[in-house]
Amino acid sequence: MPKLTIDQRDVEVPEGATILDAARKLGIEIPTLCHRDGCEPPTSCLVCMVRVGGDHRLVPSCATAAVDGMEVESESEAVHQVRRTALELLLSDHLGDCLAPCYFACPAEMDIPTMLRQIAAGEMRGAIATIKRDIALPAVLGRVCPAPCEKICRRGHLDGPVSICLLKRLAADVDLASAEPYVPTCLPESGKRAAIIGGGPSGLAAAYYLRQYGHACTLFDENRQLGGRLRSEPQQDSLPAAVLDAEIATILRLGIEVRAGVRIELGQLAELQDRFDAVLWACGRTAKEQAIAAGLPVSQRGLQVDPRTYRMGATVGVASRSGTLVPDMPSRSGTPVPDRLGAELEALPFALFAAGNAIRGKSLVVRSVADGKEVALAIHQYLSGQPITGWPRPFSTKIGRMTHGELLQLAAIGPLSYQERADASSLSLRERARVRESDEDISSSSDTPHAPRPTPQTGIALGFSLAEGRQQAARCLHCDCRGLWTCKLREHAIKYHANPRRYEARRRVFQVDARHAEVIYEPGKCIDCGLCIQIAAAAGEPLGLTFVGRGFDVRVSAPFDRSVAEALSRAATACVAACPTAALAYKDCSALVPRFRKHPCASTD
Amino acid sequence: MSELDLRPVDAIVQRLGRGSDAAIPILQAIQSHYRYVPREAMERVCALTEITPATISGVATFYTQFRHRPVGQHIIHICHGTACHVKGSELIQDAFQRRLGIGPEGDTDAEGRFTIEKVACLGCCTLAPVVQIDGTTYGHVTPTSVANVLDDFLHHGQEPRTLSGGTRKISDGELGEIRIGLGSCCVAQGSGKVHQAIQQVLQESGAPVVVKRVGCVGMCHQTPLVELIAPTGSSTLFSKVQADDAAEIVLRHFKPKGVLRRARYAASRWLDRLWSDEIADPSIRHGIDTRDPPVCAFLGPQRHLATEHCGALDPTDLDEYLRHEGFAALRRSIERGGPDWIIEQIRASGLRGRGGAGFPSGLKWAKVRAADGEEKYVICNGDEGDPGAFMDRMILESFPYRVIEGMTIAALAVGAHEGLFYIRAEYPLAVKRIGEALEQCRRRGILGEQILGSDFGFEIAVKEGAGAFVCGEETAMLASLEGRRGMPRLRPPYPAESGLWGKPTLINNVETYALVPWILRHGAAEFARLGTPTSSGTKVFALAGKVRRGGLIEVPMGVTVRQIVEEIGGGVSSPSRLETVPIFAAGSRENGTVPFSPQPQRRFKAVQIGGPSGGCVPAELADTPIDFEALAQVGAIMGSGGLVVLDDADCMVDIARYFLRFTQDHSCGKCTLCRIGTRRMLDIFDRICEGHGKPRDLDDLEMLAQTVRAGSICGLGRTAPNPVLSTLKYFRHEYEAHLAGRCPAGRCKALIHYRVTDDCIGCTLCAQHCPAEAIALTPYVKHAIDQEKCTRCDTCRQVCPQGAIVIE
Ligand SMILES: Cc1cc2nc3c(=O)[nH]c(=O)nc-3n(C[C@H](O)[C@H](O)[C@H](O)COP(=O)(O)O)c2cc1C
Ligand code: SF4
Ligand code: SF4
Ligand code: SF4
Ligand code: SF4
Ligand code: SF4
Ligand code: SF4
Ligand code: FES
Ligand code: FES
Ligand code: FES
Repeated sequence: MPKLTIDQRDVEVPEGATILDAARKLGIEIPTLCHRDGCEPPTSCLVCMVRVGGDHRLVPSCATAAVDGMEVESESEAVHQVRRTALELLLSDHLGDCLAPCYFACPAEMDIPTMLRQIAAGEMRGAIATIKRDIALPAVLGRVCPAPCEKICRRGHLDGPVSICLLKRLAADVDLASAEPYVPTCLPESGKRAAIIGGGPSGLAAAYYLRQYGHACTLFDENRQLGGRLRSEPQQDSLPAAVLDAEIATILRLGIEVRAGVRIELGQLAELQDRFDAVLWACGRTAKEQAIAAGLPVSQRGLQVDPRTYRMGATVGVASRSGTLVPDMPSRSGTPVPDRLGAELEALPFALFAAGNAIRGKSLVVRSVADGKEVALAIHQYLSGQPITGWPRPFSTKIGRMTHGELLQLAAIGPLSYQERADASSLSLRERARVRESDEDISSSSDTPHAPRPTPQTGIALGFSLAEGRQQAARCLHCDCRGLWTCKLREHAIKYHANPRRYEARRRVFQVDARHAEVIYEPGKCIDCGLCIQIAAAAGEPLGLTFVGRGFDVRVSAPFDRSVAEALSRAATACVAACPTAALAYKDCSALVPRFRKHPCASTD
Repeated sequence: MSELDLRPVDAIVQRLGRGSDAAIPILQAIQSHYRYVPREAMERVCALTEITPATISGVATFYTQFRHRPVGQHIIHICHGTACHVKGSELIQDAFQRRLGIGPEGDTDAEGRFTIEKVACLGCCTLAPVVQIDGTTYGHVTPTSVANVLDDFLHHGQEPRTLSGGTRKISDGELGEIRIGLGSCCVAQGSGKVHQAIQQVLQESGAPVVVKRVGCVGMCHQTPLVELIAPTGSSTLFSKVQADDAAEIVLRHFKPKGVLRRARYAASRWLDRLWSDEIADPSIRHGIDTRDPPVCAFLGPQRHLATEHCGALDPTDLDEYLRHEGFAALRRSIERGGPDWIIEQIRASGLRGRGGAGFPSGLKWAKVRAADGEEKYVICNGDEGDPGAFMDRMILESFPYRVIEGMTIAALAVGAHEGLFYIRAEYPLAVKRIGEALEQCRRRGILGEQILGSDFGFEIAVKEGAGAFVCGEETAMLASLEGRRGMPRLRPPYPAESGLWGKPTLINNVETYALVPWILRHGAAEFARLGTPTSSGTKVFALAGKVRRGGLIEVPMGVTVRQIVEEIGGGVSSPSRLETVPIFAAGSRENGTVPFSPQPQRRFKAVQIGGPSGGCVPAELADTPIDFEALAQVGAIMGSGGLVVLDDADCMVDIARYFLRFTQDHSCGKCTLCRIGTRRMLDIFDRICEGHGKPRDLDDLEMLAQTVRAGSICGLGRTAPNPVLSTLKYFRHEYEAHLAGRCPAGRCKALIHYRVTDDCIGCTLCAQHCPAEAIALTPYVKHAIDQEKCTRCDTCRQVCPQGAIVIE
C-alpha cells in the first residue's frame, strides 16, 4: 500500500490508486472535468494538475498512480495558476452563454428565460417565485418598465423580441389576483434592525429582501402613502394606483414597520443610532441637497457610495472589468470630499448605505428596484459580520452577436418547431400587444387575469390572456445554457476565478445538432474530453461518436456527418450524464433545475 | 456525379485484411486508387470489416495524408519545411496561388488542373525552396520562376522517372567505376535520368566501367552527384550533372586518356562559385576533387559511423554490404555474444537515443529484456517529422541493411521475434529500399525462422505513417500501428512495459539502430572514446538553411556549432533569392535570364537545432559543443538533428512563429494546454507580426509557454514552447521591435515597405515582373512603388539588377 503526502499530509491508498483517489481520501478537492469512474482516463482537460516532488513539471492527478514516497503539491498558488490557465484556455475556445443576453440587459438581472419557460408550461406560481427572487415590484414594472431586455432579446433579430415585460406583468397580475399571493420564505429573525429612509422603489425592494434575510425593517417616508416616485412621476396612466397598492401590500405582508409621514434628514442620523444597526438612505433625488447641506460627499448625481456595496464613506471606488475595486478619481465627484467626513461616518455606530435615485439622481424604476435588492445583500453581509462584497458578478461565458444563420440554428431546437413558434409571433410584437383594438377578445376568454386595465384608446398595454401568454413565452429561444446547474466547467471556473475573456480569440461558428428527440449537442461547448465517445462505443452503438480532425480543430461528432440522433440510439442518457459541460444536454432541462435553488449568480439564497 | 465504383474497395479489403489495425493501410490504398477517400468507400469498408464508422472517420480525419474531396489532375506540393521557410516558401505559395488564380481559402484552380497542398519538408532541404508537382521535384524555386515551373511541368514533367537497375557490369575488364547518387536529393535533381543516360552511353561506347548506384553522399547541395573512380583509385566528383552531360563526362574520362586532369583543372575555376548552392548553371559540368580544399573542409571534421562508407555502397546490394563487414556484428552476437553481452556493450558504449530525448539505450534495452511476457516487439522509429531534418531518410535509403542489422541485434538482446519499421509516408523511396532490403535478407536467411543458421527467429514488417508529426512520439506511434488515431497517452507505463498491443516494446530511432553494428564491431570503448563524457559517439545532422554547403553530416559529439557552420558548412551563404532562376526538372534546360546584382554579405546570426522541439543557439554562443547537456543548457536540444543556419535576414520572431505554427498544426488535440495553449500563443504571434501587438503580449506569451511546457501530456506539447522561449531569451529586442511596429530583418509583411532608391536606372524590370502591377513602367526614370497595391511579394527586389529596391 503506497504511502504518500499531499500538501504535507500523509495518506495511504491501495495499490493502483491514483493521486486523485488519495486526495479525495484526505478531503482535498482537486477539480476534474474529463475524469469519470469506469472510463479510461482521457487526460484531456488538465484541470486536475498537481506537482510531484517539486518538479517543474505537473501531472494529471486523475491518471497518475500514487507511488510510495511521493510528495504531492495540490493547493499551492503555482498549481492553481496552471489549473486556472487550463480553465481559461478551455473558456477561450468555448462558445456558449451560461446566462442569456436578456439576463444582462435587465438591470435587475432577472432570470428571464426560466420565468418564460415556467409561463410556457403554465406554472404561474413558479414564474412569480422566479421573478420575485430579483424583482420586488413586478406588477409595477410590468407596466412602467421600458424593457431594455427586449431590446437585446435574441428573438428580436428574427421576428421580434419575446414580450418579456408583459409576460412578467401577466405572472404578477395572476399572482395578485389569486387567493393567496406568493410570499417568500424568510430566514429566522436575526435580531438586527435596519432603518430605511424612503418608501420608493429602492426602499421597498430593500425592505422586501432584508426581511427575507431575517432582519427587522422600519420604513420611514415623509409622505402618508408609500411608493415615492411611483406616485409622483407621470406614469399614473399606465400604473393604476390599485396595482401599486396591491403590490406594496405583498411587500408589507412580510412584517415591515412603516413610519409614514415622518421626515428624517441626513443631519439627524445620530438620532437613529440607538435603535438601528444599519441605515439605508433611499429617499430619492432630494438626498443630494441634504448631503451638501450636511457636508457629505456627493457625486454629480447624488450621494457618493461605493458602487459595489452602496456603502457611504467606505472605500469609494469603481469596479474595474475584472471586478476589483480601483479608487475613484476625485475629479469625478463634483464636490471635493470633505476630510472630516471619513471620521464622522466612522464614528457612527452603524454603517450608512444609500441606493436608488439618492445616488443616481434620475434612473429607471427598474434600476432602483435592482438597487434595493443589491443593497439589501450588502447590508445583510454587514449585519451578519461577513465581508461586505456586494452583489456578485455572475460568471458567464458569452457568445455575443449571432449571425442570422446561427439564430436559425438556435431557433430550430425543439420542443416547438421554428415555424410553430413563428406563428405564435403573430400576436407577439410588443407594439401590437399595446395597441390591441378592443378588450373583447380578452374578456371573452375565461382565464383573463383580473388585473385592472386601462382603456384601449390610450394605446396602453393590455396584457395577455393566460393562453396567449403561454404561447408567447414559448417563443423564447432558451439562450441560457442548459448546463447552468450541472456544468463542471462553470463550477470550477467560478471557484478558480478563471476569466473567460482572458485570451482574445476568434470565436467559432455556433452550431447545434437538435435532431435527437431529447438531447441536443452543441459542439461549441464541447471540451473534447471524449467521454461520450467511450461510452457510446462501450454501449455498442452501431454508429457512435468520434473525434473528427486533429489538433485545435478537433471536434466530436457523429461519423460521416450523420446526426447525434443516429449516433446515440441507446447511449444518449449515459452520455448526457457523463458530459462535464452542457455540450450534450437534455432539450428540456427543467427537471435538473433545483427546486429551491440558489440564485444563479449568488452564493446566497 | 455518377455512382462510385466500389469494387476496388472489396479487393483492397481482401488484400489488407479485416482487422481494425488495417484501417490506415486500407485508407491509403483507397486514396491511391481514388486519389481521395470517398465517404462511400469508407462506409463500404465498415460493412466489410471489423472497423467501425467511428474508428474509420476518426482515423481518416486525423492524418493529413487523407483527402476528403476530389482533387485536381496534378498535385503541387509546396514545401513549408524549415529550410524552405527561411528561403521564402510563403512567397512561393503566394505566387502559385496567384498564378493559378486560387484564392486564400481554396486549393484547386478553376479548371481542376492543379491542387495545391502544403507539406512539411520533402527531404531535399538543400534545394530549398522546393516544390513537387506529382512526382517531379523543382528546387530553388523563386516567385518569378513559378510560371516557368508550371510550364515546364506541363511540357516535360509528366514523363515518368525510372529508377531501374542496380549494379551493372558493362564489360569484364573492370577499369573504372561510376557512382551515381540515388538519395532523394539526387533523385529530385534528376539522377535517375543521368543514370539511364550514362548506361546508354556506356552500352553504345562499350567503355569498360562499372556503374553503381550509391546512397546519399551527404553533399546534397551539389546534387545530382556522379563520382568517377579512375582505375588508379583516384576519384572525381561531378556535381549538378544533367542527363545531357552524361555522354561527355563518360567519354572524356574513359576514352581519351589524360582528360581527367584537364577536366579537373577546368572545374576548379568553378569551384568557388559552385559551392554556393544557389548558383546553378546546368550548361557547365562541375568536377569536384575530394582533395580540393572546400571538399576536404566539408568532409574534414566528420566521422562516419552511422553513415559508414557513405557514397560508396549500393544501398540494396546485400553482397556489397556483406563485403564491408555487414552482419558481422549480428553473427558475432548470435555466435558468441548473447543478450547480456549485447546489452552490456550498448550500456558501456554510452549510446543514447538519437530520436531526440537521448535516453540511454542500454537501459531501455535492459528494461524490455526484463519485462515479463513471451511476445515482445522491436520498432524502428522512422517517422522523422521535424520539418528541417532528413537524416533518417538518408540512412534508411542509403544504409537499409545497417538499420536492419541493428534492429535484429536489438531483437536478440530483448527477446523479441517481431519487428516493425514505422516510416513516414512522405518517404516512398525509403519504404521501397527497406522493402527490397528485407526481401534480400529473408532470401539469404538473415531474417526468418533461423537467422544465420541459429535457432533465433525474427521477422520485420514495414508500416507507413500517414502524415502526422505527432506519430513520432512513441505512444502515438503505437496507437497508429494499432490502427487508431495517433494520439499519445500519458506515460508511465512506458512502451518497455506496455507497448504494441500491450506487450513490452522496444522503440528506437533509425540512427540509434544504425550505430549498433559499429559499436559491436569496434567495441564499446572505441565508441565511448568519441564525443564527450555524457554524450558519446557521433551524431548525424541535416545541415540546411543559410549555409554554403548544406547536406547530411556526421560529426563526433563535442564538435562546436561554429565548426559545423564554418568548417563544414563553409559559413553563411552568399545572398539568396537573387541569382539566376534554375529549374531542375527532368530534361529541362530552362534557365532564368536575370543578371546578378550586388547584395550585402550576410552575417551568421544563429542556428536552430532540434526543429520544432528545439531552440536557437545565437552566434555569440556558437562555441557551444554538440552534447545533450550543453545544448539543453543554452535552451536548445539535440533533438532529431535538424540544424538550420540563420542569418541576419531571418526574423527570429518569424522563426519562432513558424515552429509554433508547425507544432500547433500537429498537436493531436488531446490535452487542453497543447491544443488551445499553443493556439493562443500563435494568436499572440500573429498579432505581433501583424503590428497589433500589445505590451502585455510578451509576458502572456512567456507565461503560456511556461505553462504549456510544464503541463502538456506528451513531448510535443512539452517541447513546443522551446523555440519561443529560446528566441525570447536571446532575441527579446526583436520582439520588442515588432511591438514598436518594426521588423528588423524585414520579413514580416505587415511591418515592411518596399522602396526604390536613387540607384534605380529605370530598366523597367521590376515593373515588368511585379505581379500586383504596383510599379508603373517608366523607362529611364526612377521607378516608384504604389504601397496600396504592393503585396510585398519580394519579386521586384529580386529582379532589380541595381539592388535599387530596399525593404524598410
Ligand atoms: C512530437 C514528437 C515527435 C517525435 N518524432 C520522432 C521521430 O520522428 N523520430 C524518432 O526517432 N523519434 C521521435 N520522437 C522520440 C520518440 O518518442 C522516442 O523517444 C524515440 O523514438 C526513441 O528512440 P531513441 O531512444 O533511439 O531516441 C518524437 C517525440 C515526440 C514527442
Ligand atoms: S456549458 Fe457550462 S460554461 Fe458553457 S455555457 Fe453552459 S454553463 Fe456556461
Ligand atoms: S430569446 Fe429568450 S433567452 Fe433569448 S434573449 Fe430573448 S428572452 Fe432571453
Ligand atoms: S460532448 Fe463528449 S467530448 Fe464533448 S465535452 Fe461532452 S462528453 Fe466530452
Ligand atoms: S501535448 Fe499535444 S500532442 Fe501531446 S497529447 Fe497533448 S495535445 Fe496531443
Ligand atoms: S528599381 Fe531596379 S528593376 Fe526597377 S527600374 Fe529601377 S533599376 Fe530597374
Ligand atoms: S512592388 Fe510589391 S507586389 Fe510588386 S513586385 Fe515589388 S514587392 Fe511584389
Ligand atoms: S486530466 Fe484529469 S480530470 Fe481531466
Ligand atoms: S525540403 Fe523543404 S524544408 Fe526540407
Ligand atoms: S541525396 Fe544525393 S548527396 Fe544527398
